[in-house]
Amino acid sequence: MIRYTLRRLILLFVTLWLLTLFLFALNYFFPGDALTNMTGVRANDALAYQRLVSERSFDSSLFSQYLAFLGHFISGDWGQSLSTQRDVFTDLLPLLGATLELSVLAMALAMAIGAPLGLYAAGQQRGSMDRVVMGLSLSAYSIPVFWLAQLFILFFAVKLGWTPISGQVNPLFDIDVQSGSILLDILLSNSPYKGAALADAINHLWLPVIVLAIMPATMLIRITRNSMLEVLQQNYIRSARARGLSETRILLRHALPNAMQPVVRQLGLMFSILMSNIIVTEVIFNWPGVGSWLVKSIYERDYPVMQGGLFAIAALILLVNVAVELFHAWRYPQVRKELYAER
Amino acid sequence: MSAILDIRNLSIELETENGPVRVLDRFNLQLAEGEIHTLVGESGSGKSLLAKAILGFINPRWKITADRLWWRHYDLLALNAAQRRIVTGRDMAMIFQDPSSYLDPNDKVGAQLRESIPTGELSGVYLKRRVDRQTRAERLLHRVGIKDTADVMERYPHELSEGLAQKISIAMAIAHNPKLLIADEPTTAMEPSTRGQIYRLLAKLSAGQGMSILMITQDLTAVIPESQRISLIYCGQLMETGPTEEVMQKPYHPYTDAMLSMSLSDQDIAPKTRLPTLSGAIPTLQHMPIGCRLGPRCPYARRACIHQPALTKQQQVQFACHYPLHKDSEHD
Repeated sequence: MIRYTLRRLILLFVTLWLLTLFLFALNYFFPGDALTNMTGVRANDALAYQRLVSERSFDSSLFSQYLAFLGHFISGDWGQSLSTQRDVFTDLLPLLGATLELSVLAMALAMAIGAPLGLYAAGQQRGSMDRVVMGLSLSAYSIPVFWLAQLFILFFAVKLGWTPISGQVNPLFDIDVQSGSILLDILLSNSPYKGAALADAINHLWLPVIVLAIMPATMLIRITRNSMLEVLQQNYIRSARARGLSETRILLRHALPNAMQPVVRQLGLMFSILMSNIIVTEVIFNWPGVGSWLVKSIYERDYPVMQGGLFAIAALILLVNVAVELFHAWRYPQVRKELYAER
Repeated sequence: MSAILDIRNLSIELETENGPVRVLDRFNLQLAEGEIHTLVGESGSGKSLLAKAILGFINPRWKITADRLWWRHYDLLALNAAQRRIVTGRDMAMIFQDPSSYLDPNDKVGAQLRESIPTGELSGVYLKRRVDRQTRAERLLHRVGIKDTADVMERYPHELSEGLAQKISIAMAIAHNPKLLIADEPTTAMEPSTRGQIYRLLAKLSAGQGMSILMITQDLTAVIPESQRISLIYCGQLMETGPTEEVMQKPYHPYTDAMLSMSLSDQDIAPKTRLPTLSGAIPTLQHMPIGCRLGPRCPYARRACIHQPALTKQQQVQFACHYPLHKDSEHD
């Protein structure tokens, strides 16, 4: 397990390093001056620009330029925004919090819906409810998220008026941004209207969370159902039945843990898909997260912000994938056998 | 001899795209208490299906018919699935040729072993039951010849050798003291020394606690000396059955004779001689011969063999052949 952990971590760092190489190269491929693209300081600000030329080794070889870039990048100096002149890294952290809040809640909702429905469908195999659940999940899986989001807004926000159309919380509550996660920020704040603010935030939150959860939930339903059906065919389940164990015990103790194994393996992939959906969803719901920030920077050709947003999202996906893989290997002993013994 | 397992004319038909195929054809088996009975048959002869039919591991698409399928005083075919599971779960157990696939890969061996000890046999408060369960699990492992119980119980199934996994599945199988143990080629994947251990263990269980054992093997060389009776099955038909000694010494049926001559263990054969075999190959499921299914491969087959022979009883031995290798008068 230690060796596997090390291998995953090394892979993580190598991938992150390659990502920095890619970001560095981008500065030269983007139109305009490479140093401006990198730092967000324009050449007409002569004094600052000249200082940066020496600081970023732009009077030296490409290699030393990369080293300087890497040094600044690691120390958190990601340049400043071309449009707002604000520091990219300090801007990023609360936005990342907002995105994480949305993704974690959506993932949790997807698991809370998907896994039990999948198990239920497996129990009703080839029954009418199985067909209904599988049919619904397939059609829900085929709906593009941008369309679904707008449809939901039209129905729940505009037509029924149950929920605000966009945003995180009513600005009247005047919540200070600390972590970026609105629920956390409200709890941390000393606003006298915490309860009302919390209710308002949840009212803003549930619609985008549901929109985001639908895709991973449908994937979970299908994977859980299929893996459960496969596990129920296994010899160890049949022999447990033959030994006279109770059906509940067989399901909870033997079938479920084994059936969840491929599901856990897929969680990383699901998170990646969720992240690409979250970008669109944040734009539609005007959610102050990394996704909408990134899209806005693309419209404004704000290259330092674009780099920061790209790196944040890519690094998040990588981190989650490695974490899922490590958890998978730790929880399921025979995965380690595959890793070590059957190479 | 009072049989605790009594099977008369058991047939199993599978639905295939070419119509029904009879994989087990009017099979007979009687098993007494404490007896080891060896069932010998080549692959595809339906011997594992027989075991599954006894245990009730039944696919709903199989059609099972029998004049009798009795276990003690239960008519197994008359019971519904739930009742049957209670009876077989209490009285029967089975071990397999790939024991590790019958262990949950994500659960420690100790936990699975403890779980197979019936809760009804434990008494007292929760903590006492827990301790009792642990000691009983350890005792089970000792009985199957595992000394380092603490280490083995902490392992996962993939960390066991096949021999060890088989011992553990035997321990799990005997946890509720079954009256019948079906051993389906329990030693195929094992080296000879482990094989010997497993067989000795099974023989001890049978002799010590009156457990009946139905041992299923591929060939006659694997028949252990403790086995009192033996049955030979070919393509789902019973060929010959009787006390092991008599069948092996003086077979009535050409198939038994062929199987014996194919088991070369104690014969001196010159280099480059042709080994004795039956001509032809085992027919496929779709192309079963009518009558005696050995017919096309049998060196003694004649016209009458297109009708299935009835079981003939000669003293202790029963066989299904129109032209037995010797008559009763020659026998005594």
